[in-house]
Amino acid sequence: MLNRIFGLETEYGLLLNQDRPEHSPSWVAQRIRDHIFHVDRRGLVDLHHRGHDEPPGNGGFLTNAGRMYIDMGHLEYASPECTTLADLVATDRAGDRILQHAVTALDLEETVSIIKNNIDHETDATFGSHENYLVTRQFPFSRRGLGPLVTFLVTRQVFTGSGRIGCARDPNEWVQVGGLILHRPGLRDAQDRAIVPYQISQRADYIVNDFFEWVQHNRAIVNTRDEPLADPNQFRRIHLLCGDSNMAEYATALKMGATGLVLQLIEAGQAPRGLGIDEPVEALQDISRDPDRRWIVRLESGQSISAVDVQEQFLAAAQRHCKGQDEETDWVLEQWEAVLNDLRGDYAKLVGRIDWASKLWLLETYREAEQAGWDDPMLKSLDLEYHNVHPERGLCYGLEEEGRGPRLTTDKAVNLAQDNPPRNTRAFGRGELVRHLLAGGASEDAADDAVDRADRPACDYIINWSNFKLRGALPFFMADPFKPYVQEVRDHIAGR
Amino acid sequence: MRYILMPERREAPGDPMPKPPSPSEEGGGPRRPETGSPDKDNLLKRMRKVDPKQAERYRQRTGE
Repeated sequence: MLNRIFGLETEYGLLLNQDRPEHSPSWVAQRIRDHIFHVDRRGLVDLHHRGHDEPPGNGGFLTNAGRMYIDMGHLEYASPECTTLADLVATDRAGDRILQHAVTALDLEETVSIIKNNIDHETDATFGSHENYLVTRQFPFSRRGLGPLVTFLVTRQVFTGSGRIGCARDPNEWVQVGGLILHRPGLRDAQDRAIVPYQISQRADYIVNDFFEWVQHNRAIVNTRDEPLADPNQFRRIHLLCGDSNMAEYATALKMGATGLVLQLIEAGQAPRGLGIDEPVEALQDISRDPDRRWIVRLESGQSISAVDVQEQFLAAAQRHCKGQDEETDWVLEQWEAVLNDLRGDYAKLVGRIDWASKLWLLETYREAEQAGWDDPMLKSLDLEYHNVHPERGLCYGLEEEGRGPRLTTDKAVNLAQDNPPRNTRAFGRGELVRHLLAGGASEDAADDAVDRADRPACDYIINWSNFKLRGALPFFMADPFKPYVQEVRDHIAGR
Repeated sequence: MRYILMPERREAPGDPMPKPPSPSEEGGGPRRPETGSPDKDNLLKRMRKVDPKQAERYRQRTGE
């Protein structure tokens, strides 16, 4: 799409299918990571401290120029920089495949499932799917300038949500007793959760601010951290953490594409105005939990309007301003319109394209066949299984197998994306570097003991998103994410 | 409803890496979704294989 770099960061859940597992999910996650780097040789582990929670060996860049690492105990995959939705969808699913391949190769298929979701129903833990969009430094990054983005994000969940059984407990339900955090006495969890048998978003319950810079606490609709990972004089990275991990390729493409177009509207001063939502955080939850799916929000003007109507105003602005600029833009506009039309009718029309609709349809199908109530614990297990990345087990993949889930890419393209970066962004240069170092045996050196090596005065390599440094050479900067840098990287390596 | 394949993954000219497949190489691109319901029997079979206890066993930490 026009002048846009996209990226996705996915934290995966890890399910141990054992009554009394010998090891923790984090321990198993480390084995999977080690297999990816040291047996499959898909990348190079970092030899340096990337931060207080990323010691040497915690993860590294892959040959596809993305990153695989462990964050807060979760396996996390960050896609390489992509300028097209086709690349993004392929590389996103490539991350799933890389992980599942390692699980299978480790002979853990029967006991370990990789779950691409964002919640733990039982503990209320949440983990993210973060979206990245590169914009110009001139982007109006102010409360007023971001107002239309907040409205768009609050209402887009009608087609981006992945759906879930139940809801998270209200934070006020927890009390601190001594050193323990306990459920407040007198509140009956089952009763509370019966109010929300199903909602369309996984993350809505966990967003408590409209704007904030942290990612782990006080999560916001718009994350305001300023970390462009590129030339800060030219670029800003819009980093969003309010969205769900999508399983359907179609939903991933539509989410990222429509959001990219809305950012373009804001940059051009063409976003619809007068749609400021009164209490956007509450509206986010109200839309997600609305059992009637009318999705009514109250605007600051006092007017009430449906989320679909709000989206149609953004769509109309995008059609006026962006139509015809490239093929992918027109694809997004066409599909955005189709989905909004279908959202006005029977949700079953959206099965296969929109994750919350697919999951709801599957759960209703099961409930009908088994005469199960919404409180049947099996439904939570089916909710998880929708997100299982195992192609023969995941319920989303079951829909694809039945011809109901449209593919936007192909298995061949996904396989290629596991090891090959996009060639029209700086990911190409980074991927070339990783390949070169791997071919030179750097991985074996690193695998010996990354922690010990980090104590040496200098590492053989330090690779970051926007630069790298090889031992004995000057740092190499890749400040422009739109530039492939591949020849420059080759020259740099040759001239060392 | 009309589904279309998104434009093919774009490549910079002259790059030595292998090209991803075009839709024709894959035999026609994505299948057009059926307008009726998916095959419920196959999906129910897949759902009934799910361990009912797995949500209880799913113990995750808050991330990010």
